[in-house]
Amino acid sequence: MPLRSIVNTARALSFYTRRQEIAAHNLANVATDGYKGDRITARQSPGGPWPVPAQTLDLQQGNLRQTGRTLDVALEGSGFFVVKTKDGERLSRGGSFSLDAGGMLVDAHGDAVLGTEGPIAISGREIEIEVDGTIVVDGTPAGRLKMVSVNDQAALRKEGLGHFASSTTPESGAEGRVRQGALEDANVDSITGLVDLLAIQRAWAANTEAMKAMDSVLGTVTSEIGKT
Amino acid sequence: MNSGMRTSASGMIAQQKMVDVIANNLANVNTTGFKRSRASFEDVLYETVQGPRISDGKGVLAPVQIGRGVRLAAITRIHSTGGMQVTGRPLDLAIEGEGFFQVKLPDGRTGYTRDGSFAISDSGQLVTQGGHALVPDLVLPPDTSAVTISENGTVSVSGGASGESIEIGRIEMARFANPSGLLSLGGNLYGETSASGAATTGYAQEDGFGRVMQGTLESSNVEVVQEMTDMIAAQRAYEINARAIRAAEDMMKSIDDLIRY
Repeated sequence: MPLRSIVNTARALSFYTRRQEIAAHNLANVATDGYKGDRITARQSPGGPWPVPAQTLDLQQGNLRQTGRTLDVALEGSGFFVVKTKDGERLSRGGSFSLDAGGMLVDAHGDAVLGTEGPIAISGREIEIEVDGTIVVDGTPAGRLKMVSVNDQAALRKEGLGHFASSTTPESGAEGRVRQGALEDANVDSITGLVDLLAIQRAWAANTEAMKAMDSVLGTVTSEIGKT
Repeated sequence: MNSGMRTSASGMIAQQKMVDVIANNLANVNTTGFKRSRASFEDVLYETVQGPRISDGKGVLAPVQIGRGVRLAAITRIHSTGGMQVTGRPLDLAIEGEGFFQVKLPDGRTGYTRDGSFAISDSGQLVTQGGHALVPDLVLPPDTSAVTISENGTVSVSGGASGESIEIGRIEMARFANPSGLLSLGGNLYGETSASGAATTGYAQEDGFGRVMQGTLESSNVEVVQEMTDMIAAQRAYEINARAIRAAEDMMKSIDDLIRY
């Protein structure tokens, strides 16, 4: 019996390792614009009492921070912008856009930000982005930012670099207001992150203590029983 | 080795970069024509540690993907106009609005600057404080007693026997599709890159160029209060990541304690 308990406790420890890694990743990205935190919860395994990690993506709105830079674009509300990467179309929550050498609107990686009619070319001086995503350059509309929404959150997967991939086809049109001159903060709260870290540490300690206790039981069993 | 530790280390490195950028901004708070920079970060690739699996009756559990930290995405220079500072010196020029002065670099290329504190070289040329000649050349006659530069960049000098004002040229300016893409060369100079696009040249108050203001300098666009707040945020984030490393280390240590001899 103690042997099996040790194995179960080890599985619990491996769950807490995952939790710690995710908490560390969230905290490392506390200053990453447009970052969406990962949440991990325990599900009981069908085969036994140990926990199995279940991960969800926290899509809560991050705070909007005014920067005043013309091509800083944030999205208020659900929904995503679409960027064209070399692996296909990916979703993004905005960020510091800029213009490439050819005057096309690109994101921080140089991937084209798509409008409703493909990539957006901007030439002019006064760039104004309206709440509905319409880009007005020197008084004439130059295009409209494409926005999509994904109904099934579980279909979304983070790809790093601020990109999201969706396993279902995202629906065009999204509820959301485009904010020019603003960036979205990470939706990770450092205080909650620290408290989480503390909880993980305590749970870890409890499990290792339990393991020690069972180990000493096992030690007694092997050394005392059968002694003459 | 607990990979969470490396994740937290990447967070510390990112915040260190943030502090580096802020320190440079603060150091240049009084540099004429200086443009502040901003560090931005991105999450790195995710690793799938557990594939999607079927849990009994509750449908499919989503795969568990663990991110491995953060990295610097870009340091963006913010080309907003700094405050105008009236100096009264005739050769101090500021551009209110878009545009860069063009200067000749020692290697023959053209450099671009917003620092308009010009001086006159021994040959009468208009040069920057760093000694780079304005492009195209602007040579003041030796008997010049006063220089007037109008808002559209026309340079007139008066002096000599007659004391009459004569036009000797017009200052040409350059602008870029993406000024954030310019390369900082130091000495308040920028160089053209493929990211900035090719320079479009023109004259002040034409085609969207700003106006030239004589007797004025553009101060840096660094705002000390903003930098200090960013600094505090970066410092706290650094501490939090350090704390996460300690937590990971603690967990490893308690495992180590399990082994009895």
